[in-house]
Amino acid sequence: MTRDELERALANLPFRLLRRLGRSIAGPPALRMGKRRLMHTIMAGAEANIARVEATIRTHQAEQQALAAVPASGGGASSEHKPGKPADLRALLEGIGVPEPRPFVPDDWQMEAVEALERGDVIVSVPTGSGKTYVAVEATRRAMHEDRTVVYTSPLKALSNTKYTEFCKIFGPEFVGIITGDRRDNPTAPILIMTTEILRNLLYDAAGGEIDVRLDTLGLVIIDESQFLGDSERGVVWEETIIFCPSQARLLLLSASIGNPHELAAWLTSIRPTPCHLVRHQHRSVPLRAGYLHPNGKLTPLFRTVTMPPSPSQAVLHPEAKRLFTMFEEDTLYTRRSG
Amino acid sequence: MPPSIHPVHLVTVLRQKSLTPAIVFLTSRRSCDEALQAFEHAPDSLPPARQESITAVLDELTASYPSLQDHPLRKTVTTCGVAAHHAGHLPSWKIAIEELMRRGCLDAVFATTTLAAGVDFPARTVVLTQSGVRRDQDFTDLTIAEVAQISGRAGRRGKDSVGFAIVTPSPYMDLGVLIRGLTGRPEPVDSQFIIAYPMILNLLKAHPLDHIQSILAKSFAQYQMNAQAAHLEHRIEKLHAKLESYKPRECSDWLTQWSAYDQATRQTAMKLHARRHHPPEVRARLPYLTPGRVVAFPRFRGIVLRRYRSRGQRHEMVTVLRTGGVVAESPVADIMGVIDRTFDFAPAPAFPWAAPEALSWLTQQLEDLPKHLPFLTVPPAPDEGEGELVKSLGDLFPCPTCPCRPTCAKEFKAGNTVKQEWLHHTRTVQSLRTGLWHKFQERAEILQDLGYLDAAFKLTADGEWARLIRIDFSLLITELIRAQAFKDVTPATLAGLMACIAYENDRPDSFPRITGALASLVATARRMTEALAPYDDPPLLRADVGGLAERWVGDTTVTWAQLCRTTSMAEGDIYRLLSRTLEYLSQVHSLQATHPDLATVAAEALSRIRRGVLEELP
Repeated sequence: MTRDELERALANLPFRLLRRLGRSIAGPPALRMGKRRLMHTIMAGAEANIARVEATIRTHQAEQQALAAVPASGGGASSEHKPGKPADLRALLEGIGVPEPRPFVPDDWQMEAVEALERGDVIVSVPTGSGKTYVAVEATRRAMHEDRTVVYTSPLKALSNTKYTEFCKIFGPEFVGIITGDRRDNPTAPILIMTTEILRNLLYDAAGGEIDVRLDTLGLVIIDESQFLGDSERGVVWEETIIFCPSQARLLLLSASIGNPHELAAWLTSIRPTPCHLVRHQHRSVPLRAGYLHPNGKLTPLFRTVTMPPSPSQAVLHPEAKRLFTMFEEDTLYTRRSG
Repeated sequence: MPPSIHPVHLVTVLRQKSLTPAIVFLTSRRSCDEALQAFEHAPDSLPPARQESITAVLDELTASYPSLQDHPLRKTVTTCGVAAHHAGHLPSWKIAIEELMRRGCLDAVFATTTLAAGVDFPARTVVLTQSGVRRDQDFTDLTIAEVAQISGRAGRRGKDSVGFAIVTPSPYMDLGVLIRGLTGRPEPVDSQFIIAYPMILNLLKAHPLDHIQSILAKSFAQYQMNAQAAHLEHRIEKLHAKLESYKPRECSDWLTQWSAYDQATRQTAMKLHARRHHPPEVRARLPYLTPGRVVAFPRFRGIVLRRYRSRGQRHEMVTVLRTGGVVAESPVADIMGVIDRTFDFAPAPAFPWAAPEALSWLTQQLEDLPKHLPFLTVPPAPDEGEGELVKSLGDLFPCPTCPCRPTCAKEFKAGNTVKQEWLHHTRTVQSLRTGLWHKFQERAEILQDLGYLDAAFKLTADGEWARLIRIDFSLLITELIRAQAFKDVTPATLAGLMACIAYENDRPDSFPRITGALASLVATARRMTEALAPYDDPPLLRADVGGLAERWVGDTTVTWAQLCRTTSMAEGDIYRLLSRTLEYLSQVHSLQATHPDLATVAAEALSRIRRGVLEELP
């Protein structure tokens, strides 16, 4: 490679590669250099590091060619990329819309959770929005049949209020009560919605001898959003509630996907009279697809596959999304700083 | 940073690709509000039929939540079909937005990432614009669980056959974080067990002290620590086996002996290094620099008040009294010569190191000294060389006659590392197994000292009522009650103080003035906080927020709109402040049996807080 060629090749390199090269040649001071000074430094030190410089240039050129080979989909900022690969966007948006109305059939895991409650405590750890509420409602219905009190706790007052409205619709307002820090409606009802703090306080009082009638017939405690156990400030309340929960009551822990549901289940089994059954899955009831929307309004799939990759190591970005994002980064991060 | 795409453009694209309704998650409330403002000038509005349906829903809800009637954002929501949803809004407004979303009337909602958990409504699409989130003054990456929580809102069961998570970039976004979040396994949940004072009181009310340990053992914290300890014990066993190979030789404690030797060598070397740092002539002067000695510096003279060496410093220092009564610190090396004069004075243990009268007397003496005084001739100190080191080590040198000394000398380093690791793990295991219980005991003893528990760890009369206060900063509140700080307090002042304690945000805002009564009550609380600082984390205790609660409770003719005008705080924040105050007050109200007067005041404050907007949502 002649000197002129080298200079031209360097000028075509993106700034981040230039900076990496400059750093390997001139050390940390290169991080403060602009593009021109960087090129100058690299040219000056090129003889000693010719192998590294050339390797970088070659890999970059190969990448560029690979990107150019993939027909880019329309409307990109650079004109040499012809619109193409519409199949990908079409595949991404395929099937969008309202599904055929089907009679509601509970999923297997929902039935499994409800039935496992007959035998012991249950932890449900499934993705957000896959129908945990059904389990709660069905379990409540069964406990009601046996004339047992049900307590439903949630971390936020707003969520408690929403659940209260929802349960009122299902079971009728006379059967549902709510107790939060500042609200108290129908507090002797067989179904009680409360914040977890309130239940903890009730359990404190019961342990202190001020037996609350409601706790005598307590048959089921539903703890929603139980991943709050790991909350740095309020997590301790969840833990206390579970520890002090009366042994005759069944525990139903509803949680979003967490990393260690097995550990939680093993813990519950170790401290509660009945073994704890774990219901977990990663399957979303409505499939999820990911897209990338460039600020110029161009939409592409985010991943090479239309479906979500099963793990981060298998996540390969869609080449178009990658190209657009790199372009975006270069526009916002580097030109702004040097300009 | 808001996303680089213009919000109107974003919604247009989403509509074109029929990706609506969508929830757009933004970093801050401000960017949500700004996004909504952008729509005020948007050219296209919704078709009249949809506008009517939104109006119908809003009107329906207005019946139960009157505050929706004149909401300033109503027009934008109706004409453009977009809304903002964040903690700065009143709960009634948020409920309205959620209801509109559930019925599919809106095309997009701009929400904050911070409150992703509180956003309990699904949409077809979620738009991710950020990889970070603001947490306590800091910007941290979203966790996988948080991204899962956000993307979980995409796709409504029964209404969508597929949900979408759309990533749109903003400056400084890290795409890797989002990719990990979308595809990765959520983080494990770890116990955050803390032993709080109300917990101790309530546990000891129900159980005797010797049952407590078994109760604490049931916690998830202990379960996780046991697992960790079991893992470490496995390691310890392995280390033990490793230590076996360094079997006792002639003697059984050769490792101890050699590590003692090792330590001694290092310490001596360090001491010697420090001492040898000064040149010999300076070192020779050191013994003369006693308090009261007159010394000469290049420009002035002074009387030595003390000699010291600051921790971590290599230079010896002197504090000298200079002419004019100035007390100065200088390194010993700056001293030019020692003068043959000393003055006796009474030293003091702290600055200025002499009694005031002695100081003025010394100043006088210094000025009265003749101009020319001879220096003492001090012979340079002899070089205390390696000889001394070797000599001092001679006594410590282990096992001079032992036959296995060469082997020991060779193996001691490796053996010692293993032993140190073994010791370290053993201690860790011990603290994992008993740490929780020790923490409990420690805190219970504090309560004992404060008088909530008696010698047998049973609740005292004070403990009996104090256990009913089960909120953060319970200790501060119970101590204030015991100190009679609430004597003759008005409901407004009580509410004001509770608001000060409850508010934990340091966002700068303007508030109405607080009254003198509240100011002095807050000052009392501050003093109490300082006294309690060793036992409990102090609250922020901002005095200014109290003004809001005080005004709301003090004057029942104040309307919500008037209250909002007195402060720069967002409506939702005022609401939250007052409802937190409500919670604190209802805890105080629970002390009816023992503190009837205070409970009556609290009840009065409670009933006065519950009006207007606060009554609307119970």
